[in-house]
Amino acid sequence: MKHLLLIHADEEAWEGLDEGERLMALGEVAPLLRDLRARRQLLGLGQLQPTATATTVRVREGRTLVTDGPYAETKEQLGGYWLVSCQPEQATEIARAIAPRRVPGGVEVRALVER
Amino acid sequence: MLLIYTEAGSWQRKSEEERQALYAEYLALDDDLRAAGRLAGTSELRPVAEAVAVRAGGLVTDGPYAETKEQLGGYYIVDCESLDEALEIAARIPSARDGAVEVRPLVEARG
Repeated sequence: MKHLLLIHADEEAWEGLDEGERLMALGEVAPLLRDLRARRQLLGLGQLQPTATATTVRVREGRTLVTDGPYAETKEQLGGYWLVSCQPEQATEIARAIAPRRVPGGVEVRALVER
Repeated sequence: MLLIYTEAGSWQRKSEEERQALYAEYLALDDDLRAAGRLAGTSELRPVAEAVAVRAGGLVTDGPYAETKEQLGGYYIVDCESLDEALEIAARIPSARDGAVEVRPLVEARG
């Protein structure tokens, strides 16, 4: 099964960390990343640019409406994702391991529709 | 990354005919993006009712991380020349007509 792990974090708090703390946070997940890569379970990962660069698009009655900002104006925003091939229990384990610790946040685990 | 937000259950409320038509539209969009070399990944997500969320302190709860009216239902990762091109693609996503598509640039991978 494929699972998308969506990392949500308090963006302001994250940007408020100093460079060393941010690097340390990213470094903590490096062994897990290597492990998943070695087992060919990591299908993709990405870090999103801050929501200041987000744009939301809607189409209503044939007209495209473009607004600046993310879909939901919440304090915690999607900041990155991991796409992994694994069973649901392992997906939850990985989510626990990559959940933000230095700033408020969490991880949503979503299974992909397989075709 | 194009994140597709739709109201939970909106897909289930559509008739089989409507669903088939929308799937065909999605497939056509995927084909176009693939042919143009723009498609880096896309998927529909299984219903949010099956989601789990990991919260502060490692607490695992059923359901999505944020309880919003609309929920993430699928995504596209597209390789574009410009934001405008990404916005044009977003507007072609069928769910943009009854939901919303959030367009987020990705941090380019180092090395």
